[in-house]
Amino acid sequence: MKYPEAIGMKKQILILSLASLLCVILALYFASRGTTIVYTHLFYIPIILAGIWYKKKAVYLALLLGAVYIFVTLFFIYPTPTEILIATLERAVMFVVVAYAIGFVSDKWAKGEENLKETKEYLDNIIKSSADAVVVVDTDGTVRSWNKAAEDYMGYTADEVIGTANKKFFAEPEEAERIMEIVQRDGELKNYRTIVLNKANKPVHISISAALLRDKNGVPIGTVRVSRDVTKEVELEEKIKAERDNLNLILESMADGVYIVSKDYEVEFMNKVLIDVFGYHVGDVCHKVFHNREDPCPQCKNTEVMKGETVRWEWHSHRQNKTYDLVETPLKNNGIISKLTIFRDISDRKRMEEELREAEERYRIIFEHALTALCVLEESGIISLVNQEFALLSDYSREEIVGKKWGDFIASEDRERVLNYCAERRAGGAPASCLFRFVSSAGEIKQVNAWIEPIPGVNRCIAALLDITELKRKEEELRETCERLTELDKMKRDFLNVAYHEMRSPLAPIVGYASLLESCELPDKGRRYLANIEQSAKELDMMINRMLQLATIDGKKIVLVVEEVHLSEVVQEVVKGVEPAAKKKNLVISMAVPEIEIQADKEKTAAIFSNLISNAIKYTEEGGKIGISAEDTGEDIRVCITDTGIGISKEHLPKVFERFYMVDTSLTRKPGSLGLGLSIVKEYVNLHGGKVWATSESGKGSKFFFIMPKRQ
Amino acid sequence: MQKKRVLIVEDAAYMREMLAEMLEQEKDRYEVVDFAVNGKEAVEKYKELKPDLVTMDLAMEVMDGIQAIVEIKKYDPNALIIAITALGTPEQKNAALDAGAGEYLWKPFSIKNLFDALERLQRNGKE
Repeated sequence: MKYPEAIGMKKQILILSLASLLCVILALYFASRGTTIVYTHLFYIPIILAGIWYKKKAVYLALLLGAVYIFVTLFFIYPTPTEILIATLERAVMFVVVAYAIGFVSDKWAKGEENLKETKEYLDNIIKSSADAVVVVDTDGTVRSWNKAAEDYMGYTADEVIGTANKKFFAEPEEAERIMEIVQRDGELKNYRTIVLNKANKPVHISISAALLRDKNGVPIGTVRVSRDVTKEVELEEKIKAERDNLNLILESMADGVYIVSKDYEVEFMNKVLIDVFGYHVGDVCHKVFHNREDPCPQCKNTEVMKGETVRWEWHSHRQNKTYDLVETPLKNNGIISKLTIFRDISDRKRMEEELREAEERYRIIFEHALTALCVLEESGIISLVNQEFALLSDYSREEIVGKKWGDFIASEDRERVLNYCAERRAGGAPASCLFRFVSSAGEIKQVNAWIEPIPGVNRCIAALLDITELKRKEEELRETCERLTELDKMKRDFLNVAYHEMRSPLAPIVGYASLLESCELPDKGRRYLANIEQSAKELDMMINRMLQLATIDGKKIVLVVEEVHLSEVVQEVVKGVEPAAKKKNLVISMAVPEIEIQADKEKTAAIFSNLISNAIKYTEEGGKIGISAEDTGEDIRVCITDTGIGISKEHLPKVFERFYMVDTSLTRKPGSLGLGLSIVKEYVNLHGGKVWATSESGKGSKFFFIMPKRQ
Repeated sequence: MQKKRVLIVEDAAYMREMLAEMLEQEKDRYEVVDFAVNGKEAVEKYKELKPDLVTMDLAMEVMDGIQAIVEIKKYDPNALIIAITALGTPEQKNAALDAGAGEYLWKPFSIKNLFDALERLQRNGKE
């Protein structure tokens, strides 16, 4: 083990050699001078020095010097007296004894010092070889020790700094005093972070721990400081912090809910979205905060996440009736795992999905069960979907249809036209349907009415086909029937016109000759007969006239010839005409018709009154009463014709205005009725924009009303 | 007062006779000059006899009354013609009046109806 010498080995040997030589020279000199006893004191100088320096090895030097001394004495003092020889030997032995004694003592002393040195060396080595900088600073702030590691990061060597003030190392000089204060106060300092400036004046982050050094009396004499360059760590930490800040910023600004919980369910972070909903609860227990539960939630994925798994799941909260999409992932922070949960309220999406599904289902059902044949046409004209009705129409199975060309179902002569129509509809042409002949699997032709509707957003369209074969057939039938009926109607009208003419022609001489007879000489009996003939001829004429009126109505030939009509005049004229018939049955006709001028067809107005009054007369028994009243209601006239006749039963009342309707069709019915009168009344009143109706009580009489606007 | 000379145009014999009988009742005023059985004959006889009044049936063979009225009116715009028909439609009445008939008489008619119509015809024709 080496330790530094106070004086170098070579110097020691030189000094010893010179001292020994001096002793020898002095011995030789004194011996040559004839002195009996050589002066020996000088010999102790090298011996003592050797004893100190080389411990017991000094004995060898003592023996050498002793031998030199004896030899010199014996050489110069010859013959040697005994006493001198004894004295010489005695002194030489003394050299050895002194050398040994000094060597022994020196050896003992040196051993203790060596131990101390070894310990110091050991500590020094530790300090030197420590990865941490170890610096000793005394209470004045002066550097007393400075190791290699300190050199490494500070750039200063020990020689440069030992003995100087440590203040200059700190970026903030007052840090030096602060550290000293803390150490003196607390006796130590642990992991204190500060910034120092290295030789190149660059800041170095260090972590420093320090302890107080005291002397044997316990008085503080300085501090030992162990420090480490933590610049890298600090930079890393700052980076991590920046990353973390960024992450937090991202999490904060996310529209999704984000929170972090520890494995003990403690909320470590909540983002704004959550804070807005639940309030700030960092530090509280998650199941308490979010679910108001005392225990962890049964659905909680903490265990899986803490094992390192990332879990994505959907959770429906029945309490809130909301669905959430959750991603939970482990988040490592300083070796501790937390659970980061990001969740999104997808209730709206779920609801929309559900609604969409329902809508799709609804439309699928409508599509499937529609009574219209429906198919989906691809851009290529291929049929990709059909409904039940389409399968029925085409007489193929659905599987057979799908993939077939749409054009294959169209009769060849219609194909081009229909395909053009399809192209037009696809291109967004004007809405229109298209009639064509549809060909089923058996080659059966069906008349269809098609509607093509493009589906927005895709290059598909829906074709809706209505089988109108039957409809067409019916239509044709109807058309034929209608033609036949029109023909028949014309024939009927022609016939009626002819019949009318032919019936009136023979009536002309009857009436004519009867009138001629009036001027002839006739017995009373003959005159009565003549009156009967004339009356019957008149009735026959009236009946024939009604038939003509009907024929004209049916032929839709009627036009109103509107003129100013005095209502009372018209009524009076009509009453005059029926008076003979009324008189015959002793009927009293009372009139209450004011002087009203109306715009109407005079002939038809007269016909209305005539028919109603004739009817009243016809169905009223001897001695009955007939009333005719009219009133001006402003816009309209309101007319009422009452009788005290047989009346009309409830069963017949609604039908009396129907053409040819006769209450009594038996042979015993009232003569002179074809059931036309009231239907003509209805037609004429309607033509004037009016309305006719009746009330009646069987056996007590009837009331016929009509209203007609005063102005046409 | 001069007797009015009347030409009776009528395809039915009993009607011709009846009209003549009726006019006979007022023989001081009316005199039947001749009969015609269709329109064609009526036009010819009108040109030949120049009657004061004509009773013209409308439904006749060969030439109907309407056409005969037109023809007569063409020859003599002042001709006084009374149209007589069984077909009492307004259309036919208008057609006859448009053709130039001065009066219109529906079958059947009484003797009074006939003379009233003849009176009106002469009165209006003079105006």
